[in-house]
Amino acid sequence: MDAHSNFQQHVDPDVIARLKRGDLRAFESVYRQFERAVWTLALRLTGRADVAQEVLQDAMLKAFERARQYRGEAPFPAWLRKLVVNESLMQLRHDRLHVIDVFDDTVGDESTPQPWTSADAATLDRALNRLPDDARAVLWLYHVEGFTHVEIAREFGRSVSFSKSQLARGTRRLRELLQPRVEDTPCTIGSTTTA
Amino acid sequence: MHDRLDHHGMNEMSDEASLAAALRALPASAPPHEAWRHVSARIGRRRTVRRTVWFTLPAAFAAGIALAFAWPHLHLHAPLPQAARIAQAPTTAQQPDTRPAADVAALQASSAQWQNWVQSLSRDGAPLDGRALANAVALQDRIGMVDLQLSAARSPAAAADLWQQRITLLQQLGLLHLRPYMVAEQTHPARNRLISM
Repeated sequence: MDAHSNFQQHVDPDVIARLKRGDLRAFESVYRQFERAVWTLALRLTGRADVAQEVLQDAMLKAFERARQYRGEAPFPAWLRKLVVNESLMQLRHDRLHVIDVFDDTVGDESTPQPWTSADAATLDRALNRLPDDARAVLWLYHVEGFTHVEIAREFGRSVSFSKSQLARGTRRLRELLQPRVEDTPCTIGSTTTA
Repeated sequence: MHDRLDHHGMNEMSDEASLAAALRALPASAPPHEAWRHVSARIGRRRTVRRTVWFTLPAAFAAGIALAFAWPHLHLHAPLPQAARIAQAPTTAQQPDTRPAADVAALQASSAQWQNWVQSLSRDGAPLDGRALANAVALQDRIGMVDLQLSAARSPAAAADLWQQRITLLQQLGLLHLRPYMVAEQTHPARNRLISM
């Protein structure tokens, strides 16, 4: 990911000061700087481009309107990231009707310990999007955003056990999705022809 | 991430680390190009709504206070003056001439004040809907008839009665102009949602 794709960025204190005064140009500058980071996080958490777009707009608008409340206790990007996580999880809760968080808890084949190391980005991306919403969001918050289980539990309004079980199940499901199925493997026995 | 080491063995840590690395390596996708246009447009709309609310609320508040002061003088429960009744000029036989001319002058001044108030509401207030506009026209017609009778009034008592009718009609006209603000006050939750969006 390039520098503008994550929240580890420096923001000019003067821009933050102007943003807190409601300066639209300062807001545009912040928007341009974090647009990709916000979009990527929203897309990973919600798994849908249309919802991610809504999150991008709503979270950015909240950042603009609540900038005055930003006290500087945490770095500005972390504050913004929290808004995006809140907004994304709120959308997930809102759209829960179409989500079926059903896991098959039978232990799958774990003979390939780390299939994600050999999977290409597109395959991993597809597999990630096939995970149930909660599992995908927990997986992303834990592995990429560095949230602890306690923090994830707080964000979801659930228990720490919920976070841990979603992570374990999500990881297992991801492994299953990435493992090549037997019927997909080309059969090479007897295929060698002699001239 | 202090709770990671507590519950995971070294193999799982390496599993976790490799998964984290794989997820972090996923390419970032760019948001739609028009996203900023939508966001800035929404900010513009919200600012307009806020500005409208901030200008309208004090006007509604002031109108509400004026209404509260005027309420005791409004004959809201009395039937509207009938056109026939207005058309029929009171005679000295029906209304004994007991009101001094000073009363008439006071009523006349009061009528002028009410008229100024109604005019300011009409000029600066929210536009009336079709039904309210029809009612306003009817009230103005009645005021016109009262004015006509006032020009022919012979006694102070008759004039006082007509001036009182005129004031009542002006008050009813003023209420018509206030109604949009009263409706706006009653739709509080919707307004809140609009602002908090």
